[in-house]
Amino acid sequence: MAKPIIVTLGGVESRFDHEKLDRAKLYGKRQRQVLDPGGQRCEKAELTRDGTLLVRSGMTAQGYFDEGGAWVPSSKLVGLDAKGQPLPAIGSTLGEPQTLSGPVDPIEVLDLAVRSVYALNADGLDPKLEAELRAGKAYKFTFCYRGGYEAETAYLVGNATGFFALVGTPASSEWCELQTVATDALADADDDDDELDFEMF
Amino acid sequence: MRKIHLMNEAARNAQVVMEPVRKQDGPTTGLPGKKLAFKRYVATTETGLHARLAQQHGDALAQALMDGDPEIDRELVGREVGDTQTVFLSGGGEVLHASPSLVEVIFGTDGKERERKPAEDVPANTNEDAPIRWTKMRLKRGEVIGKFAFCRTIQLKHVDGLSYDFLHAMAKELADKDEVARLGAGAKGRDPLIFQDNGARYQAFLEGRVDGPKYKLLLHLSNLELRTIAAG
Repeated sequence: MAKPIIVTLGGVESRFDHEKLDRAKLYGKRQRQVLDPGGQRCEKAELTRDGTLLVRSGMTAQGYFDEGGAWVPSSKLVGLDAKGQPLPAIGSTLGEPQTLSGPVDPIEVLDLAVRSVYALNADGLDPKLEAELRAGKAYKFTFCYRGGYEAETAYLVGNATGFFALVGTPASSEWCELQTVATDALADADDDDDELDFEMF
Repeated sequence: MRKIHLMNEAARNAQVVMEPVRKQDGPTTGLPGKKLAFKRYVATTETGLHARLAQQHGDALAQALMDGDPEIDRELVGREVGDTQTVFLSGGGEVLHASPSLVEVIFGTDGKERERKPAEDVPANTNEDAPIRWTKMRLKRGEVIGKFAFCRTIQLKHVDGLSYDFLHAMAKELADKDEVARLGAGAKGRDPLIFQDNGARYQAFLEGRVDGPKYKLLLHLSNLELRTIAAG
């Protein structure tokens, strides 16, 4: 079992067990399956452009190669910043107390591009924090599940059904003025999941 | 520029531009001072896949792997895989030359199959023709962040002076009330938003921010409610 999420507010610690929340668990899922003329399920594969190789699942791997074409083991790779300078490695934040900041403005939470959501099960919750979360306040903390070179931003929120951690990366929008000219195009949404629709409305 | 047709509460509509709000760039992976390329390559061939090897060697597979490299085709392994074309293989493993049929299978939250029916195309409903509209649903900003996880945000922008006034007024109204408005698509303006054919359905909430003559009109998209599985 993964280590708990531990947060502190005013020096008082709260602990949460966590489980990733996904659509399949909440709503079930809808899947499009491709069938051959005999009604048997088809397997998706790839054909190289020259038509010489049929690539089936499990036949490829990927990795980094240097300019000489030599494979670079992932154990040698490090995180690099925008200037190409190495970044220090960050340990997992699970099991390590993280200081909460806030309550934050809801706009800050709306600016988060959420990558994952964890449903939290409190196992020792500071009553003051509980009251704040139940009142709709949100708190920020640093989150890094496995460790790496980048910590993500997490917000602790609550509602009548429980407590949640929203984990992701802040996104930034720009102010529009009368003279602003829109130039970019919307990238095709990667909407390849065909899960069930909401039923709440 | 991709456009979207937007209708406000007073049933006034305009075509405006939508752009994705990008998340901040994170660190890259590499070696300091070295230029690396990320490549996909052939790791094994069809005859080297586990199922084929197990069929060929049976119980002696482990020994065969220790004695040699039966999974490696020296002619092909390591070859870079560039652009490819998707093909489907029949149940018998042959490349399908006839059009396959599509079936939609619905699974319950327990992972068990519930229903199976012919798949139907669901067209996108956010385009330049049919407007997306304000519904009557309003939530305070502080409330909506505790109800939905927003995985994507789209910014709406004006294309001329008239649409600037249209969007600025919309943003100001929402900002002044500290509210977000749920938008709906379809004939009745109640459906979730779909941005590409057969794509995911999103609940969309419009949020406005203003700073004098400047504005931000953000469409926050969610396909995940914040509720515990037990409460579901």
